[in-house]
Order: sequence, then structure tokens, then C-alpha cells
Amino acid sequence: MSTKTFAAIDIGSFELSMKIFEFNGKNKIREIDFLSKKLDLGSDSYARGKIDFEKVEELCKTLREFKNTMESYGVEEYKAYGTSAVRESKNMDILLDRIEKSTGIKIEVLSNSEQRFLDYKSVAAKGEEFRKILEGSTAIVDIGGGSIQISLFENDTLISTQNIRIGVLRVNEILNQASVTTSRYREMCGEIAMPSLDSYKKLYVKDREIKNIIIIDDYLAPVAVRKAKEKGVDPVMSMKEYIRFLSDAENKTGTDTAKAFGIESAIVPLFIISSELVRWVATILGAEKIWTPGVRLGDGMAYEYAEKIKMFRGEHDFEKDILASAYNIASRYECGRKKCELLEKISTGLFDALKNVHGLSKRDKLYLRIAAILADVGKYVSLENFGDTGYNIVMASEIIGLSHREREIVANIVRYNVSEYDYDHEGCLGNLDGSSYIIVAKLASILRVATGLTGGYFGRVKDFKPVLDGNRFVINVTGDADLTMEKAFFESKAGFFTEVYNITPVLNIRKN
Amino acid sequence: MANVNYMNPKFFVNRELSWIKFDHRILNEARDKSNPLFERIKFLAISASNLDEFFMVRIASLKDQLNAGYDKPDIAGMLPAEQLEALSVAIHELMDLQYTTLNRSILPALEDVGLTVIKRHENLSDEDARFVDKYFEENVYPVLTPMAVDSSRPFPLIRNKTLNIGALIHKKDDDKTMDFATVQVPGVLPRIVELPKKGKGTRIIFLEEIIERNIEKLFLNYTVVCAYPFRIMRNADLSIEEEEAADLLKEIEKQLKRRQWGEAIRLEVEAGIDKDLLKKIKKELQITDENIYRIDGPLDLTVFMKVYGLKGFDHLKIKPYIPVQNPAFNGHSDIFSVIRKGDVLLHHPYESFDPVVEFVRRASRDKNVLAIKQTLYRVSGNSPIIQALSEAAENGKQVTVLVELKARFDEENNINWAKMLEQAGAHVIYGLVGLKTHCKITLVVRREDDGIRRYVHLGTGNYNDITARLYTDIGLLTCKESFGEDATAVFNMLSGYSEPMFWNKLNVAPLWLKDKFLGLIARERDNAKDGKKAEIIAKMNSLCDRDIIAALYEASSAGVKIRLIVRGICCLKVGIPGVSENITVRSIVGNFLEHSRIFYFENGGNSEVYCGSADWMPRNLERRVEIMFPIEKKELKAQVIHILDCLLQDTGKAAVLNADGDYAKIDRRGKKLFIAQDYFCEEAEGISLSAKEGVNKSTRTFTPEIHK
Repeated sequence: MSTKTFAAIDIGSFELSMKIFEFNGKNKIREIDFLSKKLDLGSDSYARGKIDFEKVEELCKTLREFKNTMESYGVEEYKAYGTSAVRESKNMDILLDRIEKSTGIKIEVLSNSEQRFLDYKSVAAKGEEFRKILEGSTAIVDIGGGSIQISLFENDTLISTQNIRIGVLRVNEILNQASVTTSRYREMCGEIAMPSLDSYKKLYVKDREIKNIIIIDDYLAPVAVRKAKEKGVDPVMSMKEYIRFLSDAENKTGTDTAKAFGIESAIVPLFIISSELVRWVATILGAEKIWTPGVRLGDGMAYEYAEKIKMFRGEHDFEKDILASAYNIASRYECGRKKCELLEKISTGLFDALKNVHGLSKRDKLYLRIAAILADVGKYVSLENFGDTGYNIVMASEIIGLSHREREIVANIVRYNVSEYDYDHEGCLGNLDGSSYIIVAKLASILRVATGLTGGYFGRVKDFKPVLDGNRFVINVTGDADLTMEKAFFESKAGFFTEVYNITPVLNIRKN
Repeated sequence: MANVNYMNPKFFVNRELSWIKFDHRILNEARDKSNPLFERIKFLAISASNLDEFFMVRIASLKDQLNAGYDKPDIAGMLPAEQLEALSVAIHELMDLQYTTLNRSILPALEDVGLTVIKRHENLSDEDARFVDKYFEENVYPVLTPMAVDSSRPFPLIRNKTLNIGALIHKKDDDKTMDFATVQVPGVLPRIVELPKKGKGTRIIFLEEIIERNIEKLFLNYTVVCAYPFRIMRNADLSIEEEEAADLLKEIEKQLKRRQWGEAIRLEVEAGIDKDLLKKIKKELQITDENIYRIDGPLDLTVFMKVYGLKGFDHLKIKPYIPVQNPAFNGHSDIFSVIRKGDVLLHHPYESFDPVVEFVRRASRDKNVLAIKQTLYRVSGNSPIIQALSEAAENGKQVTVLVELKARFDEENNINWAKMLEQAGAHVIYGLVGLKTHCKITLVVRREDDGIRRYVHLGTGNYNDITARLYTDIGLLTCKESFGEDATAVFNMLSGYSEPMFWNKLNVAPLWLKDKFLGLIARERDNAKDGKKAEIIAKMNSLCDRDIIAALYEASSAGVKIRLIVRGICCLKVGIPGVSENITVRSIVGNFLEHSRIFYFENGGNSEVYCGSADWMPRNLERRVEIMFPIEKKELKAQVIHILDCLLQDTGKAAVLNADGDYAKIDRRGKKLFIAQDYFCEEAEGISLSAKEGVNKSTRTFTPEIHK
């Protein structure tokens, strides 16, 4: 049985870490090493917009050590991701170049949604435990240095995901600037967090009762996991138990809190902030159970890598979540669900029928599906120019699981579904590279055909069956109604398709 | 019971005074006529060498405290000045006893067996005198550096621990001006000189006597008025400001040189030393009367270690024990496959240390081994482990070694090895700021068919193949994933990375170990309160942690049966009504140095056994990196419990602590003599032999006889 080793490097806001994984046969992921070192990049980045030279040197030194450790395990592949501290640093490009030259390690920067999606995958890697907890209404509360991401699930399906800019280091910065003593951190955390959390509840939670919350964080979870391990139980606490757990920090000095929870004194303020944020989020959601699986970004990276090399196939359907997230956005912009579904269905059908022609991947198909769902969001702002407004809405929305580049692709498909195509890809919005731009063209042309089919009177097309016949792409449809309008609309949309594929789409209407 | 303050200083013994008692127990072995004579002289030498170290470190530290105005009482409520006062009395008594033992018991006994020590050169016959004079001229004179002190020449540096001869001299033409002169007895020459054979016996004289006899030859234009040997001990405790030291390696090298210049804290002189000469030395060394030891006999009794080495007296020594192979390795050449079959427990020195050396050596050459990580505290002079690590680095393995530069008195040795390893390409970590790395752990990472496998050795003793023949220690070889993960985490932490989210099996000081011990003791206390069976057996070198002792008192009061096997310092008192009536303490001083730390907790019938590198001392639990590991495999656990049982049954080498604070040998009336260490030797030999026979029996091939 061949085994593969993989290193997942996470350049976080307050910590550098590397996990080494071994993949041995199907669905066997084993963590064999975990190195982490505190390095506060976040304070530099959030407060001054730049990461200091000394920190960069320290970062490079640690990365070189990581490299040695990788060699000591014969690691074959690695991924190094930078998150919000790197992302929000103005000198990011210089920084990444310097790190690569100095260490040979290439760092990729994750967008917030990519990062959260990987965090989410890290929880999903827990398998059965994750599936079980998701049976009830659940929120994944991912507390980062700069923000919290709250994703709500009902019946195993993502219903919303929202980013709130109250992360641990950001709150710490505010409290530091206001010279708040550690003993007052608890009450002050509530004061800082509650306004945003209240708005969040009104907008997204409404009357829903979220029974379980899953916590992803760097400060509370390690302690909770260790304490649970000592007791030989799972790291799941009822709200009452959680309050009791936190009571160990009440009326204690920083040193005593450090001792009570077995953490370094320097971490105490961050631990208090993170655990208080959890308390407030749990309170507004009305949660009864808190699960701290103790996962990190690295676990999600391993999950992703294992999927890529086909050595792991998780139970959870993440595509479903991404699509659910798209539907939520569509609904927020008053797009009718049925129409979205029909357009998604027809686009998918066309895509599949053209498999031998377009040469696109499964992932590209997902872009098309999302673009189909979001095709009309721009109309919420303007009925006239909804290609551009649609582009802007997509770019401003969090679609969990998509990278920045992927979001650009989707937004451009939405745009060119209705707007005139810019043949010079450098003129397109968002600076997509050439190959991405080709994907946009191929998918936008399919979406245009699909949009033509659904026309102004959507829902009248039935028994849709596309067939590739030489240079003709025959789309057989049947319908009870008069489909003349669809035909006219279709023809107006088909030109671009012919241009892209050198195939003429033909609508063949059969009446029942 | 509830109102007892278990921290009350009156429940504790001062650790230094307790240490003196330990040295007494060693000296008692020198006094014990049931021991072979040459073993007795070895114990005498050990008691002296221990005392030297005690001065250089402990007395030095107390003097530092006194000089710095530190006025916090110790665990037993004594201030530094009070401790020094009490120690001066106790040490004088101890040294008196050393010399009484030497003069009244050992020297006559040596004479009886044909070894005569000529105590004074004045007692030499003319023939012998001619021999030693010739010896002096040919061998000694060329290496001597006599130094006289006068108005133009300052008082020279008298080096720590060296033996010197001080003399008062005056110019032949001026008998009014008395000068001081000194000459160091050279360390490069043997201190004992055998005189030519006369009949059957062996006669020896000490080098300083030969020099003293010939001292006039060193100061030709002078008259030597008197000459006497003297020896000083200096403060040798390194004071390193680690936080400020940019390079720990350089800082220690610098401090090592300074060790020779530390404050003089003990002056040993011959009992009949000339008054004026002593006054002169006293003044120059700035030493007070209570720190002067007038000695009736040869100074520096560590010389008797050399006497022990004299040829022709093997019948008066214990036959050297040759460690046997652990049966798990019989018939197997691949150490990794043996470990894969199951954990292996090594009991040194009864079982050989070779598997540990082989573990590193094999790893250095095995093509599948990716990395070797090891902590080194004290290694032997020509350590095969260091050689193997070097070889591994040269073979392209990732070698990480933590060399503890602060291992007292091994600093210089360790610096040399560390540099050598670095040159070979190993990644060397020179200890941790503020902490000594005392744990003994080796990790071998190997790529196997089914993925990465980690092999771990954990021990209670140093990676020192020489001391492993003399110290009793426990080692565990395992490739259990849980241990491997923890071992990886230990080395990550030693490399400056954060602690893992949780530990599977290992308990690491200074993080959690003390809390773990306190938790385990408290659990026994609670079990006793609940009417469950509760017992603690703990074996260690020293016990002086206040919190642990108080916890033991509390547990004892709750009814926990506590049996302690503490070789050295023990600040706990037994037999205090309502406090420690359920506690017994025994100390074993035998042919091998008891060094293993073993902890047994009854846990309501589900007993737990741990081994480790830490004593119950604040320095181990709070200022050192230590590891305690569980022994889980049923048979191995039983084996460790058996070791404890045997030590608890010892009637030969055990001394039991009484309520009055004294240690007494077991009253053997009605009891059989049982010496645990001897028993372990026999047992190991027996098991090894039967295992070898077992291998032969299981061989399913025949060996044909061939006609020659």
C-alpha cells in the first residue's frame, strides 16, 4: 500500500503552525506531527497595515525549520496558506516574494471564504461526530483573529454564512487601545460584540433556534479538548457546563487564570476574549450544546489534499453547501427559487451534453450552476444594467467554498450572461488570467443559451433533451404552450455560443 | 486531623542535614565488616568525593545566600546562617568518622591482607627513602612548579580541589623574614606510589609525602622551616544569567574558567600543621575557623578509589557483574522488529545497556530511518551513542540532539560533544533558557511499508554506557503510536514550539508533572477516605518537595499506606502522630547506585505504575524538563512491581528511617538476609539462561556431528 505524506502550513494571525499528515489507503488520514509557534503578525497587520521586518525574519526562520521537519518525514507535497494577517497586510506581495526567496516555501493567500471553507472541512473531517451533530440545527462558529464566521445549518444543509468583524485579535487591539485591564475583559467583550451580534440575529437568525454550536478557534478549543481528554470524555459541553467551565477564570488574576486553564500567561487575554465571544454567540443563538472539536485550518487542508489525490472521500456534500449558500444569496435579492432551479437544471443539462466539446471540469460545472442561480441578482438593483450590478453583488457576497478567483469567474459569467462580452480579457472586471477568462466565455455562452430557453415565460419548457449532432447542438424540448417567444429569445442568445464553440445551437420544439 | 497544617516547618527536615545523613549511610558501608575490604575502601572514597561536591555546590549556595542577605527560612524553618552552623558541626563529625574509620579499621585491615600504607615519609626505611628520592628526582621534580610569595610575588592561585604543599621558608642568609611557598601535588602523576617489593605484601606511599620529603630541593637558597599539605574547595556553582547571555555556549565556557577562582569555602589541613603556616594560608584565602578541617590522615580520601584499583586484591572485591542480554533480544538481530512485537523493559545494570546503544547505532545505519532525536545529559568519555549520532548525521539522517550544557560538572565534556555533533551535521540544541533538560528520551522516525512508525526509548538514567553498568535504572522501548506522538511533541517543545493540545501518555515537567503527582496522591487520599484500598510506593533519589510531602502527610492521615524508597535526601519525617504514621522510608545503599525513579499508585485496585527521570524535588518538578511515563503492558508492569517488592524486602542494604530522624539497618533477628541487588543479578542471569535454552529448544533444525 503506497503512503503519501503532506505538510499543511498555516500562517495565522497569531501563530505559525505546520501539520504533517500521512495518507495510507482510502480514507486513512493520520496526523503525525504538529508544530506551532506564537508569532503575532495580526497586531502589525490590523493596527499598522504592515508586517514588521523582524517578524518577517522570524517567520522565515520558522519556515526554514518547518522545511527541515518536512524533510525529516520525507514529505512529498505541501501547501502553505496565509490568512487574514497576511491578506490584510499592505506589503503582502513584497512579503510573499521575500519569504519564497528566503525559504523556498511558496505561500498562497486565502480569501476569507476559502479559509472558512477549509475550517469547515476540518470539522467535517471528524466524520461521524460531525454528521450526528448536524442532524440538529447547528451553527459553526469560526473565531479568527480578525472576524467571526457564523454558518447556520438546518437538516444537514447550510442555510446562511455570515462574517462579522469581531475577531479575537481585533477585539484585543481595541481593548489595548482603551487600556482596559484583563480583569474587565469579560464585560467589555460583551459590550464590543453585542451590537454586531444583535444585528446578526435580527437579520439572519430571526426566530430560529440553533441547538448546537461547533467552535473553531485557537484559544478556547485546545483547553477544552485537553480538559475533556483528562476526564476521558468528548469535548462537548452543555451551556451550563460551559458557564461552569468559564467560572474558573472569574475573579482571577492573569497568572491564576493561566494556571487554572494550563495556558501561557501571554495567551490569557486572547483566551478570555475567545471564550467570551463563544458565550455571547451561544447566548444569542440560544444554543444548548457546545462542541469544540479542536480542529485547525491544517486539518481542512489535509482533507482537501486527500480529496485531490483521491485518497479520501468525505461523507459530507460540500457542493450542496456551496449551492445552498448561492440560493440564500439569490433569495436575499428576491430571485424566485423555481426560476433559479430551472436555469440551474438547464445549464447543467447543456454542460453535460457538451462534455466532449468544452473540456471543462466538474469544478467548472459548479461555477456554472452558481452563476445560473445568481443570474438575476443584479435586477434587484437595476433592471437595465443588471449584468454589471449582478457582477458587483456576487463579488460583494460571501460564497463559502469559493476562492477569490473562483468568485471572479462566477461574477463574470453572471455579467456576460447579459452584458456584451469584452474580447480583451485585460479589460474584464477583476483582472482574470487568460485561462480563467476562457472558462468564463465557455460557461457564459452556455448560460446564455439556457437563459434563452427559460425566456421571459419561464417554466413552459418541458422534457428538455440536448443532443450534439455534428456541428449542431440540437436542443429538443416539448411543451404544451406556444413556445414561439422562447424560440425568438433563444436565437438572440445563441450567437455567442456559436462563436465560442463553432457549433450552432438549434431549438427543436415538439408539441405534445 | 482537619486542622493540621501539613506545611508546618516542624514536620520537615533540612535537606542539607538529610544529605549528610545519606553520606553517613555510604560511610557506614565502609564501616560494615561484612562487605569485602576493597569495597569498603571504595565506599570511603565515594563518601569523600560526594562531600567534595556537596561543598562545591550546596555549601557554596548557602554561602551565596548568606552573602546576598537572603533571609528566607528553608523547608524546615532554618535560615542560611543556621544551616551553615549546623552543617559545620555535622560535617566535622562526618569527617572525623571518615578518618576514624580509615585509621582504626581500614588501614589495619589492609595491613592484615598485605597492603601497607606508609603514612609518613619519616617512617620510610633508608632503602625505601632512597627509592622515593630517586623517584622524586626522575619523575616528580620535572613537573613541579614551586611558587614562593614575597613582596614582589603575590599569593598564587590555589586551584579548586587540588592538593598542595604549603611551606614556610626563609633565605639561608636571613632567618628573620619568613616567606610562604607552595607547590601543587601534580595531578598528572599517580598519587599512590608503590614501594619496591619486600616479601609478599604491597607497600604504598602517597605522592605528597614524597614531595614533602624532598621539598628543600625546590627552594635551594632557602631553608624550609616546615611543610604541610593542604587542600581547598571553592564555590563552583555556576551563576549564569541565562536571559542575558547571548550565547549560552560561550557563557558557560567563560564561567568554567571562573570556577577555579570561586570563593574558598573549605580548607583541609593536616592535624599538626604549623600554626604560622596555617595563619598565613587562612589570611590569604580569607577563610574562617569553622571552615577549616584539621585532618588526621591523608587529605582527599578520593585517592582510595585508586587504591581500589591496585592489582592483586581481586579476592577482596565483589566480582564484577556482567550485565546480561534482555531475553527479548535473544536470537534477534533487528531491534526494530523486536520492539514491534511489544514493549521491552530494560532493568539496568542487571540487563545490558547494549540494546539502547544498538537502538541508536542501528537507526544511524538503517536506510528507512529518517530522523533521530535524543536528549543527552551526561554521556561517557568515548560515548558510542555520540558516535552513532554523528554517523547518522553523516548518513543524511535528520539528527536533533539536545545537549544539556548545564549538567553540573559535565559542562565542559558536553560542550565538546555538542561541537563535534554540530560539525557532523546534527542539529544541536544547547539546552533551554531557565530550565535544565534532565529527561532521557530518544525518538527514531522510520518509514515503513504501512507508513511512518516512531520508536521511542524512555529512561530513568542517562545515556551513558559506563554508568549504566553501575546505576540501577529502568528503560522502556516502545513503538506505540501514543508514545511516539508524545515523544514528537517533547522534541517539538524542546525546539521552541508550543505544547501539544494534549499528551497521550507522557507527563512532562515543568508543565504538568507536579500537578499530576499531586493529583495521583490526592486520588489515593480520596480512595482511603472512601474506604477503598489505597497505597503508594515511590522510589526515588531524593524527596524534598514541600507540596508533595504535605500531600503525602495528608494522604497518610487519611489512611493511605505509603512506602518510600529514597536513596538520598529525605525531608519527610516518619512517625509523626496524626501526620505520617502510615509512612515508611527506607534507603538502599548498595554496590550499585540506586537511581531509578518508580511510582506505584494503588488506584482502588486498578494500579498504575510510572517510571521517570524526576525526583520529588522542586528543582526536578519546577526547573527541569522531566518525563514520567506509564508502564502499561501487563507483564512489564508486574516486573516493575516485583522490583519494588524486592527493594521493600531488602534486609541487607536497606536502612530504615526512624521517628527520631536516624537511619538504622534492618534488625535481622529472625529474618533472612536478602539483598535485592544481588537477587536481581541472580534473577537476570537465570532468566537470560533459561531464555537462551528456550531458543535452542524451539529450534526445529538438527546439527549433524561431523567426523573429523
